[in-house]
Amino acid sequence: MENKDKIKIDRALKLIAKLSIDKSSQVLSKMIKSGASIELEDVYMADISRVTEEVMLKADNEVVGAFIDLVGDAPFKFLFYVNTKDSLVLTDLMLRREIGLTKEFNLYAQSAVQELGNILASAISNIFSTDFQISMKPKPPTVINDFESIVFQEYVIDAACERNEILIIQSIFRIVKFDIHCSMFIMPLGKSEQILQYVTGFM
Amino acid sequence: MTKHGSWFSGQGSGGRGQQETVTPDRKEIAVGMADIKIGKAPAMISTILGSCIAVCLYSSKDKTGGLLHLMMASSKGASKINNFKKAKYADTGILELLGQLKNFYGLNQRSLVAKIFGGAKVLKNVTAPIGENNQQAVKEILKENGIAIFASKLGGEKGYRIKFDLETGKVKCQIFGHEFEEY
Repeated sequence: MENKDKIKIDRALKLIAKLSIDKSSQVLSKMIKSGASIELEDVYMADISRVTEEVMLKADNEVVGAFIDLVGDAPFKFLFYVNTKDSLVLTDLMLRREIGLTKEFNLYAQSAVQELGNILASAISNIFSTDFQISMKPKPPTVINDFESIVFQEYVIDAACERNEILIIQSIFRIVKFDIHCSMFIMPLGKSEQILQYVTGFM
Repeated sequence: MTKHGSWFSGQGSGGRGQQETVTPDRKEIAVGMADIKIGKAPAMISTILGSCIAVCLYSSKDKTGGLLHLMMASSKGASKINNFKKAKYADTGILELLGQLKNFYGLNQRSLVAKIFGGAKVLKNVTAPIGENNQQAVKEILKENGIAIFASKLGGEKGYRIKFDLETGKVKCQIFGHEFEEY
């Protein structure tokens, strides 16, 4: 690939990341009626061994994550996760009730994370269809409660089976009032390169 | 764009290439997916696994061992031309681990014993029995190479955290939601 094309694709990726992350933070703030600021916004290509090792070294939390496959013109994989303890606060915020009422990870907490994941993934697929005329639809979410490293590994495993390097769009939102950090990932799958080249046509 | 530095620095503890995977002076060596780390006491090798499997090989006489974090049972059909990761597959990964232990520490495979962990079905909606296939392949390959399996903890639906102590050869295994158990 020529250097000029690489620069264009890099710009396309950054544009997708910016639009998706901005929209997601707005949707998240609206859903829980509390301000969510963007703490990290990044796009990178990562070796599967190195990135999973980094996650292991840096993150050792118990989390609840929602995996969503975005299918259609541009297959992407979406992941949203939050610390298990913080998912209880999010549940109360989603249910519009007093914080502290949800005391343990239960079906309500699972549904809250599932719903948040669904709403964020839908917001992202809307950006693709309205801004780039790329049709995408989120599949029903899968929720897991496990170590952070496991959630991340299971998220990347399909892509990692096919390739040694994966392209990741990562963001971290902080729900300011409650100091909750939510992580969100978007990963292009399969024919991603063609899609990104298509996106560069809009720039 | 708000940016507080990437979560991924790309500078894992092992670095790139076979030579740099040996880090005997580090107390705890982390192993990512599709990777191998080897070392000597007093180092500890750790990893976290879902459907993947960890193969820990150890020589008690030399207090030396290695851990392979494999993802799939067979390399059959995989392109072996571009940047082929042997550690991704049970068939090529176990042989690579044996090769590294022999080349770096002069270990004969007859002095090694194995302990294996992982192979869980973390995502319930995945129909392919990846974890089970991995378990079966690992057992067969170790048998073919005459390496006895001293301990194992396989299957389930939750992730595993593994700490392989090269001083004792013991492996501490924690399944999500449970305490560590020693193998």
